[in-house]
Amino acid sequence: MDLSFITESLYFVKPEIAASASIILLVLLDLIFHKNKTIIPYVALAGIIITGIFVVDQFNISGFAFLSTDNPKYGMIAVDNFGAFFKLIIIISSIFVVAFSAYSDEINKITDRLGEYYALIFGMILGMLVLISASDLILIYLSMELLSLSSYVLAGFTKLRDRSSEASLKYLLYGATSTGMMLFGISILYGLTGSTNLYIISAALQTQSLNLLTLAFSIILIFAGIGYKISSAPFHFWTPDVYEGAPISITAYLSVASKAAGFALLIRFIKTTFVTFVDDNGNWQLLQVFDWESLLIIISLLTMTLGNFTALWQRNLKRMLAYSSIAHAGYLMLGLLVFSNQGLIAILIYFTIYLFMNLGAFFIVMVIANKTGSEDIDDYDGLGFKSSFLGVSLAIFLVSLTGLPPTAGFIGKLYLFIALVDAKMLTVAIIALLNTVVSLYYYIRVLKHMFLTSPTEKTEKIPLNFGQIAVIIIMLIPILLFGVYFSPVVDLAKSYITILGF
Amino acid sequence: MIDYIYLTVLLPLLGFLINGLLGPKIKNEKLIGIIGSSTVGISFLVVLFALIQTVGLPADQRTNVVELFTWLNVAGLNIKFAYLVDPLSLTMAMVVTGVGFLIHVYSIGYMHGDKAFWKFFAYLNLFIFAMMNLILGDNFVVLFLGWEGVGLCSYLLIGFWYEKNFEKGTVPQAAKKAFIVNRIGDFGFLLGMFLIYSTFDSLNFLDVFSKAEYFPVSEATFGLIAIFLFIGAKGKSAQIPLFVWLPDAMAGPTPVSALIHAATMVTAGVYMVARASIIFASAPAVMTVVAVIGMLTAFFAATIGLVQNDIKKVLAYSTVSQLGYMFLALGVGAFSAGIFHVMTHAFFKALLFLGAGSIIHSMHEEQNIQKYGNLKKYMPKTFITFVIAAFAISGFPGLSGFFSKDEILWYSYANGNLFFWIVGAITAVLTAFYMFRLVTLTFFGKERFNKSEKHPHESPAVMTIPLMILAFLAVVGGYIGIPEIFSGEHGNVFHNWLMPVFAAADRKMAVYGTHTHLEEIVLMVISVAAALGAIYAAYIIYTKRIEVANKTASKLKGLYTTLFNKYYVDEAYEFAVIKPIQKGSEKLLWKFFDVKIVDGIVNGAASLVDVVSSVIRKMQTGVAQFYLIIMSLGIALVLFWIILSL
Repeated sequence: MDLSFITESLYFVKPEIAASASIILLVLLDLIFHKNKTIIPYVALAGIIITGIFVVDQFNISGFAFLSTDNPKYGMIAVDNFGAFFKLIIIISSIFVVAFSAYSDEINKITDRLGEYYALIFGMILGMLVLISASDLILIYLSMELLSLSSYVLAGFTKLRDRSSEASLKYLLYGATSTGMMLFGISILYGLTGSTNLYIISAALQTQSLNLLTLAFSIILIFAGIGYKISSAPFHFWTPDVYEGAPISITAYLSVASKAAGFALLIRFIKTTFVTFVDDNGNWQLLQVFDWESLLIIISLLTMTLGNFTALWQRNLKRMLAYSSIAHAGYLMLGLLVFSNQGLIAILIYFTIYLFMNLGAFFIVMVIANKTGSEDIDDYDGLGFKSSFLGVSLAIFLVSLTGLPPTAGFIGKLYLFIALVDAKMLTVAIIALLNTVVSLYYYIRVLKHMFLTSPTEKTEKIPLNFGQIAVIIIMLIPILLFGVYFSPVVDLAKSYITILGF
Repeated sequence: MIDYIYLTVLLPLLGFLINGLLGPKIKNEKLIGIIGSSTVGISFLVVLFALIQTVGLPADQRTNVVELFTWLNVAGLNIKFAYLVDPLSLTMAMVVTGVGFLIHVYSIGYMHGDKAFWKFFAYLNLFIFAMMNLILGDNFVVLFLGWEGVGLCSYLLIGFWYEKNFEKGTVPQAAKKAFIVNRIGDFGFLLGMFLIYSTFDSLNFLDVFSKAEYFPVSEATFGLIAIFLFIGAKGKSAQIPLFVWLPDAMAGPTPVSALIHAATMVTAGVYMVARASIIFASAPAVMTVVAVIGMLTAFFAATIGLVQNDIKKVLAYSTVSQLGYMFLALGVGAFSAGIFHVMTHAFFKALLFLGAGSIIHSMHEEQNIQKYGNLKKYMPKTFITFVIAAFAISGFPGLSGFFSKDEILWYSYANGNLFFWIVGAITAVLTAFYMFRLVTLTFFGKERFNKSEKHPHESPAVMTIPLMILAFLAVVGGYIGIPEIFSGEHGNVFHNWLMPVFAAADRKMAVYGTHTHLEEIVLMVISVAAALGAIYAAYIIYTKRIEVANKTASKLKGLYTTLFNKYYVDEAYEFAVIKPIQKGSEKLLWKFFDVKIVDGIVNGAASLVDVVSSVIRKMQTGVAQFYLIIMSLGIALVLFWIILSL
């Protein structure tokens, strides 16, 4: 291994380098300014923006970094448009999370640990960036661990609250089990094919005849690890407990960014390893290991049904949003299980929209909790009258999450369902539609509390400062705009589905 | 300026947003009025410049498409948000923004002191926004967006004084009536749209119309599309049997009646039929239906207008009648004559309504013409402009209404038959009579109101200046459409201007009349002479020989009450449609279908969801070990399934 091996690869990993540098910088700054830490969030924001610039710089560039020694055609990191798109999702949600944290009372109470907080967030960012473009099982495992370890600590960051410590511990136990299984699966797959590189594995799978049962076993185990990241059933149990216990800013982050990284990994893993051929209509031909479609249909429908049905009962908004985000993972999987480019486009569209609507809903819940100290639905009685801007904005985000026009959420679901109908999966589409009907109930119930119940004495006006209003409006604009004028999102998604190797 | 045509849509929207969101905070009526009016005024200028630019182009290049963005691109359906700038849309846009601007200005005076002044202007701007989309849209979907938008604005503005009573009911009831009747038409229009898409695989005007000319599509399909579109047009343009909402729409403030229910929105149906002229021209049977419906509507509405006493009611029936004329023109294939009448009618009917508003304003909301009299003494400016408009609508030679109405009458004979002409001419006589009955009772004779209670006075300049401008237009507006027999070799300028739009339809119908100029002049002289006679008769009867009117009324008591009660159409609807629907809804749909079946299913489903979710919820125990067991079991199950399926 000579030096050029590294220097030639550096060109492709600039965002990751920027994120790593930010971690070091933040730790150092934390030590230097150990009294007054007001500068830390700004440095973090600057770091994210620089990383973001490098990500944008990667648009329309493709290539491998850290080439494999077995077959120098492939490498450990695949840089392509698909990855760049998901990295951008990560960057945008990270920017919002910095804004969230700046307005979060929970976080502001612990200013002395602010350096740690942001350094860990950058740990997550780095983990996710690598996870999105990793095309090597070892790197996938490592980046996933980096992401998970940072998240465990952040979930329990407000450690004085019982809930928070409990969340952190559960998350750790669950994560350890899942990644353990995943590692087991990886080792079997390596044993079968003799490589950890996805592209080389793919080539091996197509040329050699392997024991299908062993292969299926390893895939299922690897899927356990990924399924835990995207919180799909039956690996979703940790989600509500962790989401409820963690600080809201982290909950929001986990529900969007971490999920995006998990999905990117899942799609890349399946597409590079098992898709043999993409026909002219954009349909993927998969290696026949087992019935992929049925397995994913079951998981997807189970995930959304469990998420929606449990959300029905929640009186705590944070917990309700946690279940709702499980349900959304189920919807997103619909785009994958059709195994076509159209489905992939639908996933990208959905994620773009989901980013804004989910973060928006969490942000408003956080602003309200800052004032009232509670996320209980009863504390929302008459809120629409007392704080009409907050009420109307939350209503828009929730309506969008339900998927009703004229909000962007409708467009996201529309494209998912079109992909399903085109793939002739009408039954699945109908079950998914019925699920959104169920979800209507718990989303709209919040509206009922806000607008149909008169304010009680407890209801107070939530004061908003300029920055908070700005954050809400920035998230509202895409939801309203894309609901009517969505061709730019669709065009964007269409041009960012290319995964290296096809 | 053609490229900036979208400003004419954007500016009113901006005005709506500013006044609608900040209106209650601005408070200053003047500022609100200026914002509301100027957006429409600037739009008018943009249209004007676009018009000048288009006139400067050669005739075959006058159709331009201004594309804004792709709105929908789903599974083969591609809808662009684009505006079609051609002679037809420019003509309509001139009328809407021009007359619209004058009415906005007038409203500053008329709505002075209203507690929701800002809301009124916000709605008016929203209306202009929707109407411009309707006119300029380059495909059926954008047109439909505007179509529904104007319907909504019409509803909001009819119900503007929602706390008041109107006739036997309340103002909101009148607003709902307008909305519901319009919905019936909209349903037809939607069906037409679906059929167009399934036939031509496109909803874009230029695309559909060029396909309509050359595609081998059966006449039956064309007929079906045309009849559905015509049902839509009937709803918006108040034709038999869907005209019942328009008289009740007078519950709104008078500027609204002038703008929406006389000058612009109600002509949307005429515009749409003219726009789709090629489709109608390909369905000759439907064309006859259009002509007959138009003729009947013109006639029956005019007869009702003879005996009404509410000044706005008379004008409302007059509007229905004039719209009937326009459809008569469309039905005989004289599309440009129909559009020409849309334009001249907008001038004089807006003027009549605004004049009526001025009178109502000064008479403290009194609308009964039997309680007016000799108002010319108190309101000279309103009087003169109102009389000009009345002469114009009666077809007095040289005024705008003369040219447009005469053209329609001529074509109803030349392209149609003598019967159309006779009914049209009788309607013209009736029109002249009821208009001058209205004028005479209002402005001449003795004061029939209590002078100690009412103090009629001229309206402020902000209201009278728009009246004068409209009066000017009502006089000269017809000169761009002077028929060939008077203008000689240049032909009809207005007709030539719209020629490119209707060329395809003209080719399809291929009517080449062999009528002489002599026939045209003879028919014209007959109808004009009869109308002038009616004017004179009305003046004499209602100033000096009022007993003639009373005697006739008592002699023909049956006819009189029938007319006064508008042929009992509302009652017939009540009996034949509304009551059965109410009964059916209550007994069958509500008590049986809704309560038993729908609620049963819904409640059943809800309790099922309830049970299922309470079970699922129990799985979320909070115990980490349990979660891990479930997860391992899940994996084991999947593996088991794979082994079985291998």
